[in-house]
Amino acid sequence: MIRLRPTHLRTRLTLWFVSALAGLLILGWGATVAILFRQLQSQLDHFAIQEIETVEGLMYFTPQGELQMHEDYHNHPESKDVIDRFLEVLSPGGAVLYRNDRLGERRLGGAPFAGEGVGGYSVRSERLADGTRVRMVSRLHSLDGRPLLIRLAHSEEPLWSRIDELSLASLLALPLVLALAGFAGYGLVRRALRPIELMARRAQEITPQRLHERLPNNNADDELGQLARVFNETLARLEQAFEQLRRFTADASHELRTPLAAIRSVGEVGLQKDGTRAEYRDIIGSMLEEVNRLTSLVDNLLTISRADAGSLQLERVPIPVMQLMRDAAALFEVLAEEKALTLTLSGDEAAAVRGDPLFLRQAVVNLLHNAVKYSPAGGTISARVGGRADKVTIEIEDGGPGIPAEDRPKIFDRFYRVDKARWRESGGAGLGLSITKWVIEAHGGGVELDREITSGCLFRIQLPRDSPL
Amino acid sequence: MRRDGIRFYKGNVHILVVEDEIKMAKALQEGLEADDYAVSVAHTGEEGFYLAQSAPFDMMILDVMLPGRDGFEILSTLRQRGMKTPVLLLTSRDTLEDRVRGLDIGADDYLVKPFAFPELLARLRALLRRGKTDAAQRLKVADLEVNVALRSVTRAGELIELTAREFDLLYYLLLNRERVVSREMLAREIWKEVARQTPLDNVIDAQMVRLRRKIDGQFEKKLLQTVRGVGFILREEQL
Repeated sequence: MIRLRPTHLRTRLTLWFVSALAGLLILGWGATVAILFRQLQSQLDHFAIQEIETVEGLMYFTPQGELQMHEDYHNHPESKDVIDRFLEVLSPGGAVLYRNDRLGERRLGGAPFAGEGVGGYSVRSERLADGTRVRMVSRLHSLDGRPLLIRLAHSEEPLWSRIDELSLASLLALPLVLALAGFAGYGLVRRALRPIELMARRAQEITPQRLHERLPNNNADDELGQLARVFNETLARLEQAFEQLRRFTADASHELRTPLAAIRSVGEVGLQKDGTRAEYRDIIGSMLEEVNRLTSLVDNLLTISRADAGSLQLERVPIPVMQLMRDAAALFEVLAEEKALTLTLSGDEAAAVRGDPLFLRQAVVNLLHNAVKYSPAGGTISARVGGRADKVTIEIEDGGPGIPAEDRPKIFDRFYRVDKARWRESGGAGLGLSITKWVIEAHGGGVELDREITSGCLFRIQLPRDSPL
Repeated sequence: MRRDGIRFYKGNVHILVVEDEIKMAKALQEGLEADDYAVSVAHTGEEGFYLAQSAPFDMMILDVMLPGRDGFEILSTLRQRGMKTPVLLLTSRDTLEDRVRGLDIGADDYLVKPFAFPELLARLRALLRRGKTDAAQRLKVADLEVNVALRSVTRAGELIELTAREFDLLYYLLLNRERVVSREMLAREIWKEVARQTPLDNVIDAQMVRLRRKIDGQFEKKLLQTVRGVGFILREEQL
């Protein structure tokens, strides 16, 4: 089945409005008619009761025992035709004793029901044999000691025809009213929706290059103002994300350019002169070193971009933290020995977290690597595992030169390096800490650089503790 | 250039390289030929598919990103037709899904670009060696001898004390002697490091310095040599 559905909101709103109005009008009209009809009917009833009173006084029995009606009270004979009542008199057993001329041979209602007209008036609607709708009142009356059931009715047909006329008139007026209301409603809806249209047009003009633009917000309190505000907030976030991406791309290109420039210079210089075999090997080797640097840079960038895109799947397995730390520390044993560093590891053997072993290992390896890299020969690096009921804390402290206070907030930023000149020999692109930060945060934890410490660095990782259940 | 030793005779090992990048294909061909393999190169998927079907190869190196029919498609069609030749996939996309997909449709190994050439050679050797055992228990280079069963090392008859890691390192270098071993290979094989990003280069270098001190220290002939930009090599001949 094809459902017709207007595409424009204003058309839809107008249609809803018009149909609601039509429904209400019909309902109101129906109620009015019903009330009017009831009122007219009760007038009719009242009239009938008065007439019964009159009729009772006019009835008499002929000496033959026939029931008759005095009709000689009319001043003019034609007045008889004015009388529009239907009259039937029955015996309590149902035998017809009298029917007036107007009624003729038609029956007025069926057999008498129990208690009809006793001690008052029974009022009901009936239909004559020829279909005429009547309003009938009956009353039990006693004449010359004989009980008589008087039934008196008036035609309801004039009432009905009045109602029909009224209906017809309303039916003719309804479309006109609805059309007028529709037009007015359409105009109103269009005016109400106009700000949305404007907003849509403005929003359409906002391209990635023009993200700083905002939607107009004239009335912040109404619904449209709220919509504009929410939209503007989204735009602000989008702008920020774009800005981040732009900066990241710029930084990444810069980082990629550095090894590329080295490859190029070394290659070009190498080609300019005739060298020995050993010299050429050296040149190629030097170029390959830069290639390795590029490769690891690209690998790191790839990890970061996957992390940003949320496409990295993290495992969730229980990991004993001391084990993780021992593993990571073991990697640097040789380096530490070479630099005569003391690497100590202490803490809670029972501490466990839930997460991805590879990524978490990478995270602590990066921190340990930094500690080993920046510690002076003969220094001490201590790693401690501790924590509270719901948290595991890993602290890694070194006795290196530390990080200047003004640089501390930036150390987790991508491509940030404390010592810009020295990175090439120590071999990092400033991505390690940002990867660590991402990994820890992806595990629901946090990593920070202690602010209090005055010498060296103290990194503190907090992770949710894995409950043994 | 023919080498002696435990390595099998390779002159008649025929490798099909399917790679659309001209430079890369040329480098692969030259590198493999320098290592005594016979090489055929196809520059498109269709050509590679045709060649693979028309002649028997001992090994196929297949780039995944090819114009037209990609490597996955070619490989799965070839496998459906019953080709048993070992296939090594090359790809620049290092995602787990790609890796799984490659191995699922019948690749025997998977190498992510950019890779170190020695790494490729090592993988090829591993694939060709598959099913055959290296029963060498005593390995030697010049006067350096390793007894695998005893895990003992001697140089000029003198016993050298090595840590477990140093021994593993030396053993691996010895198995690949006279071949360059890259840091990535060492990281993976000796340190069992899976993630490529782990900053292990300094660690490997430091470990090498120590090993060198022990096996080459007081000897005039240095066996453990550094190949700048690539890695390390254990051999008698001096650079």
